[in-house]
Amino acid sequence: MKVDSTAKSLTISIISLLIFIGTWELVCSMGFIEPLFMPAPSKILTRAIKLIDNGQLVVHTLASTRRVMVGFIVSSMVAIPFGIFLGSSRFFMAVFDPLISLLRPLPSMSWIPLSLLWLGITETQKYSIVFMGSFAPSLLYIIEATKGIDPLLIRAARNLGASKLDVMREVILPGALPQIIAGLKVMLGIAWTCIISAELVAAREGLGFMIMNGKEYFQTDTVLLGMVMISITVMIIDVVFRKFERRLLPWTR
Amino acid sequence: MDAVANGHKISIQGVTKTFSGKRGTVTALKDLSLDVEDGEFLVIVGASGCGKTTLLNLVAGFDAPTDGKILLDGQAVTGITPECGMIFQQYALFPWKTVQENVEFGMKMKRMPKTERLERAARFIDIVGLKGFEKNYPHHLSGGMKQRVSIARSLANNPKVMLLDEPFAALDAMTRQVLQEQLVRIYEKHRKTIIFITHSIDEALLLSSRILVMTARPGRIAQEIVNDLPHPRNADVQLSSRYMELKRTIWDSVQSEVMKSMEVETG
Repeated sequence: MKVDSTAKSLTISIISLLIFIGTWELVCSMGFIEPLFMPAPSKILTRAIKLIDNGQLVVHTLASTRRVMVGFIVSSMVAIPFGIFLGSSRFFMAVFDPLISLLRPLPSMSWIPLSLLWLGITETQKYSIVFMGSFAPSLLYIIEATKGIDPLLIRAARNLGASKLDVMREVILPGALPQIIAGLKVMLGIAWTCIISAELVAAREGLGFMIMNGKEYFQTDTVLLGMVMISITVMIIDVVFRKFERRLLPWTR
Repeated sequence: MDAVANGHKISIQGVTKTFSGKRGTVTALKDLSLDVEDGEFLVIVGASGCGKTTLLNLVAGFDAPTDGKILLDGQAVTGITPECGMIFQQYALFPWKTVQENVEFGMKMKRMPKTERLERAARFIDIVGLKGFEKNYPHHLSGGMKQRVSIARSLANNPKVMLLDEPFAALDAMTRQVLQEQLVRIYEKHRKTIIFITHSIDEALLLSSRILVMTARPGRIAQEIVNDLPHPRNADVQLSSRYMELKRTIWDSVQSEVMKSMEVETG
């Protein structure tokens, strides 16, 4: 029954997608819309094949993916231990709270000028944008997650001889992990926003650069292709992330 | 190890505990003194809110008394101590650890070598009758099984004293009976000093070597009964006149305390 209804939903979704693309194609081919404003899906496909042939599409997609992953992983690796530490210490939370409160409302875009001044149009500058855009919100997610731990479990661990450090590693980290991962999934989306905006402003490769470059040459199909590629890449990474999540949380199965 | 000043395993001396909150100060325990001997199975009975749990929390070092002191083997309890293994009503198992890993936890914290840990954990899992469930996660287990894991986890850590805070209150009657019998067998074999809290008079009579009835808040000791019922405390014992007599005595004492606490609440 379950399999049947899932298959049914999937069929409906595929049909709906085909109708959407079909209508789009039809409207464009009948000349209702100026191709400069909105090219037909077939035009985007032609452009995709051309860019795959000369290797450009792969280069841009990989460049953006690499930047997101490096920035995101570094940011998570700092934010997870730091967040757990802050979440379990009232004193240090009070110390860092004003700084975090100041950083949090800053959109990643606002860091772009400063990062360009400091680091130039380099890869490090791209990583730093992803880092600055995702670090403060990740940290807040993680601090919140540590607060959701059942205090009884901390008590039980202490009663069994766990030190405060043991409690962080053995109780707070695994206990908060489901919420941490849920938070990081949202953050991964934000990391993509960061990198695309950084590439739109200043870059020599990447999907953001490809979109901006397409606009410069009035290649609307390239612009749309870039946008489609962002969607597809984020979806693929999301699937990979979900596999990874199941492996990390065997007890929730 | 006979540095025991007064010879008692646990000595609670003039302990008062007050909590101050937004709605004023509550005295949970007032000038409470009691001694627990080595190898004793002490059951404390009392109506809800009489400070039983507060008392256990003080013995385990989760909380410090406002006044008075608590000695374990003659040494003052100043912080959380693994020497007093606590069993919680809500089991408090780590959901992300398997049965095996839960039981190993205390030993892992002591940095005991892995092979020794595995061997000891296997032994205590067997004692509580959970052989074959080592790889299961807690959410796959029934309430009774969870509490058995919790008991194994505590025993494997080899505490001097076991503190049980209404451990079987959330279980159905049949499971409760099985676990009570299992606990008695474990007690007879390992001779740990046990402080067990309950609001069930039958449970107190079945398990204890001594029973204390606590007064309504502020908690003090209303009555002390040495439980001289013969072992094993099977159906015959439970139908004996001595059992009925003890039950009535405790019931009278508990009832008057319940009445008093209700008057306090309504008045």
